[in-house]
Amino acid sequence: MDVHDMIHDRLRETGVTLAATLPDDWVAPLIGRIDRDPEMRHVPVAREAEAIAVCSGAFFGGVRSVAVMGATGLLTCMGELATLNLRHQIPVFIVASRRGSIDDHRVYQEVQGRRTFAVLDAYDFPYHVVERTEDLGCIPDAYEACRLQKRPFVLFLARKLVKGAAA
Amino acid sequence: MRAADAMAVLAKHRGDAVVVCALGMAANEWWAATQSEDTFYMHGAMGFAASFALGLAAARPELPVWVINADGSLCMNLGCLLTEAQQAPRNLRHFLVDNGVYQTVGAVPMVNRGRTDFAAMARAAGIPRAVAISDTAALDAALPELLAGDGPVFADLQVEPDTSHRAIPPMPYEGPEMKYRFGRALEKRLGITVFGPQGY
Repeated sequence: MDVHDMIHDRLRETGVTLAATLPDDWVAPLIGRIDRDPEMRHVPVAREAEAIAVCSGAFFGGVRSVAVMGATGLLTCMGELATLNLRHQIPVFIVASRRGSIDDHRVYQEVQGRRTFAVLDAYDFPYHVVERTEDLGCIPDAYEACRLQKRPFVLFLARKLVKGAAA
Repeated sequence: MRAADAMAVLAKHRGDAVVVCALGMAANEWWAATQSEDTFYMHGAMGFAASFALGLAAARPELPVWVINADGSLCMNLGCLLTEAQQAPRNLRHFLVDNGVYQTVGAVPMVNRGRTDFAAMARAAGIPRAVAISDTAALDAALPELLAGDGPVFADLQVEPDTSHRAIPPMPYEGPEMKYRFGRALEKRLGITVFGPQGY
């Protein structure tokens, strides 16, 4: 069992049965696990904000869901997260790659690395970074915190967690 | 056909469908026609009512779900047609109120007005049951067939722009109240749990 299997398992243990996804290369393996799970409804989308809205609609159907995306896609969702989820107090649980960290040597990710947390802080959207497999047990608590706070919650997957040590 | 008349015809055929409305003119017209409380009226996220409705339809396949979208909103998220086509939700009906203008900001003409064929775009995306309707009698006649059988169905309701700039009042609930009214209505109707034992 690899880390992507483990994340998928923790999501299942949390009761997640619907996932709306758009990949970057860090979360693509997790999306593959979701796609192969016959007990999890997989909704691939064409733009990340669609995943936010799909999960928001699923909330009212009494279904636990997750939106999976890259950090760049997350930044494109801020208007929808503010005017749908913050406006209506609809929780949405997001799993995103923590791009632009000091061990992510991709020039087109450096702005995401410097500004993503600042943007989330400005909106008062809670987040948590998972760096080790031992910490994946936090997923049920993170999901509950998302519900309790009635707003978007982002669980970031660090590079060393999903890609290994080498940059 | 006037938007208000189209809404009256839709309301007549609604049955037990749960409705999601795009913000602005579509939501205001549906509220004016129905005063419906088991409808989710989007306050924001312009363009994403269809995705919200798709999520609800996917979560509850036994529940008939309508989205009353607007042309300005759809154009902000045309990719939703691809997602809708791939998911092929049998319980989803997608109505587009197509007036060619941004009504609530003063009937400002939409981009490419008069040249866009939304039903053709839906068909090209992979939604074969896609039609355009421009008068109330035709809408009234077509709805029984559009509501029968499997979705998704896409109907471009071509209505006249309202150049009088009349102010149609929006539904009177704030964002969080909308959430709880809609969620509690679905809990009661479907016997599901939307909110937990502590109310969140």
